[in-house]
Amino acid sequence: MRAALAILWDSFRLLQARKLFWFALGISVLVALFYASIGFNAKGMTLFFGAKTMENPLLQEGKPEAAAFYVMIFTDVIVKLWLAWVAVVLALLSTASIFPDFISEGSIGIALSKPVGRLRLFLLKYFGGLMFVALQVTVFTTIVFVALGMRVGEWNLTVFWAVPVITFVFSLLYCMAVWIGIWTRSTLFALLGAFMMWGTALLVQWGEEGLYEISHFNPEAGVTVDFRSGTRSEGESREKDPEMVAMHRNIERAVLPLPKTRDATNYLKRLVRMKERDSLLSGVTLDDLLKGELPDPKKAAAMKRLENRHSAAYVFGTSALFEVVILSLAAWIFCRRDY
Amino acid sequence: MRERPAVEIEFLKKRYGKFVALDGVALSVPRGTVFGLLGPNGAGKSTLVKSLLTIIRPTECRGSLLDKSIGDRKTLARVGYLPEHARFPDYLTGREVIRYSAGLAGVPGRIAKERAEALVGTVGMGDWGDKKVGTYSKGMKQRIGLAQALVNEPEIVFLDEPTDGVDPEGRIEIRKLIEAMREQGRTVFVNSHLLGEVEQVADEVAILSRGKVIRSGKVRDLTAGSRMFEIRSLGPVPPEIRGKLETAGLEVAGDRITVPAADAGEVQGVIDALRAAGVVIRELKEVRQSLEELFLSAVSSARQEGGKP
Repeated sequence: MRAALAILWDSFRLLQARKLFWFALGISVLVALFYASIGFNAKGMTLFFGAKTMENPLLQEGKPEAAAFYVMIFTDVIVKLWLAWVAVVLALLSTASIFPDFISEGSIGIALSKPVGRLRLFLLKYFGGLMFVALQVTVFTTIVFVALGMRVGEWNLTVFWAVPVITFVFSLLYCMAVWIGIWTRSTLFALLGAFMMWGTALLVQWGEEGLYEISHFNPEAGVTVDFRSGTRSEGESREKDPEMVAMHRNIERAVLPLPKTRDATNYLKRLVRMKERDSLLSGVTLDDLLKGELPDPKKAAAMKRLENRHSAAYVFGTSALFEVVILSLAAWIFCRRDY
Repeated sequence: MRERPAVEIEFLKKRYGKFVALDGVALSVPRGTVFGLLGPNGAGKSTLVKSLLTIIRPTECRGSLLDKSIGDRKTLARVGYLPEHARFPDYLTGREVIRYSAGLAGVPGRIAKERAEALVGTVGMGDWGDKKVGTYSKGMKQRIGLAQALVNEPEIVFLDEPTDGVDPEGRIEIRKLIEAMREQGRTVFVNSHLLGEVEQVADEVAILSRGKVIRSGKVRDLTAGSRMFEIRSLGPVPPEIRGKLETAGLEVAGDRITVPAADAGEVQGVIDALRAAGVVIRELKEVRQSLEELFLSAVSSARQEGGKP
């Protein structure tokens, strides 16, 4: 236990010493404060603590749409753009060197000559690296939680799902950096490996979502896209193209062994629950609310199915399996190597 | 009952592919002594220490460390270690490095704090203990390294090239620290290529060459094996007596006669012969082979036996 505390405390001190940690935390607080500055009055949405008003028939004080919109800004914009992108990149840049530094000559010997098992040492050091994101997201989410309570009167503890979910998303990339960092002893290769894995996983996930839209969403919602002119028209639901459905099924299989960083981030929207949104605004998008109009029920239902097309087992289970495999490889090298 | 050695290696082999780093090493380190492991670069000194401390996985190993099988993890709580080229996290202060090491060794927080406080003073880093390691000189890092190696009050301390990069004043202080550890009853295992320093502080040494122990024993016994006496005459030794001495197997060079002898009694006959020939003796002294000379001759012999120059 003492050894575990010593390693975690050392990880915390390491993060404190990184300028990027404070830079990322500073921006996180600014973004959270901007979020807190958004409010609603009788005319519509206000920005910068009421300094600017944007008129909107739906997003008005006391309306459930306004509350849902406020949560959506968090789940659809801030989480996706800031927490799951920029903050994760900064975290990777800050933590990629942890293992290459740890296993360097003259450093690793002291830790290995102590009565702490190698596997335990490895896991503790790994979890210490995850603190970077966990701390950032905790601070951020706390501000969001308070803002949500004060702005729409809903003290919604489910927003704290962001902490484990975003930390998990980061861990999917960090495990790759750890494996390559231990294998090559190089921070640069660790970073390249993590970013390449991330890029590959994102491309395949985007492809899968695009194909789902073409094969399932568009026929269900009655959306027709003219790819030559780029125009979209909406009509009646139609039959799905079996070839496109099969193609989507194939790409879904290709995604299966990969880490689902994007899907996991999207899944957060299903975990952050609001009574009004879940009953009345199912399938309604941020765009719909910003335009001040609600979509027809058919399209909203199709959108809901698109958002919910993957189960938690598919998103988190298969990603966790990926992480276990990669971490096992890293741990195997770490435990077997002579230093 | 006789106390078991702190380290008893019956057989230790480490192979990297076809290269044999340690070729069946056997050695014993008595408790409460300072033991010096000597050897040229690449002899396998660090590999041996790392094998004892589980940093390296030996190919084959039989033996004990503090009465437990080598490799027993719990035993490491009773061991201290300062690696060669020790690197500590730049973001920690000297005191934090010591407390971090204490935490890994399972020392309770309050005790670790007290010991860290005492140890920074012991190693002469009292004024620098709260500064970041990144601002330290090499010598300062070595001092903090020594302190962290002692924070769990180990029964045996392994020091791999402890004076590497340390200035002469610092070396003297480190030597005093090693002597103090011995006085406290600890066993100190020093890896070094600085023979003069080891000679001053070690009770026993082993010389490692190409992964094999080629000489080992008490420093006094090893150097006594080649004990000599040196007689200096007033002016060169006359040719007639010189011839007789050389015929008897003694070495004569100018005014100096070297007599291989275990004790002074064996030299008396030479003195009598010199005086009978009218040679005036101006100096008589006992000469021991230094550890450096012993080391060089042992390594040289081992190389010749190994078939390389």
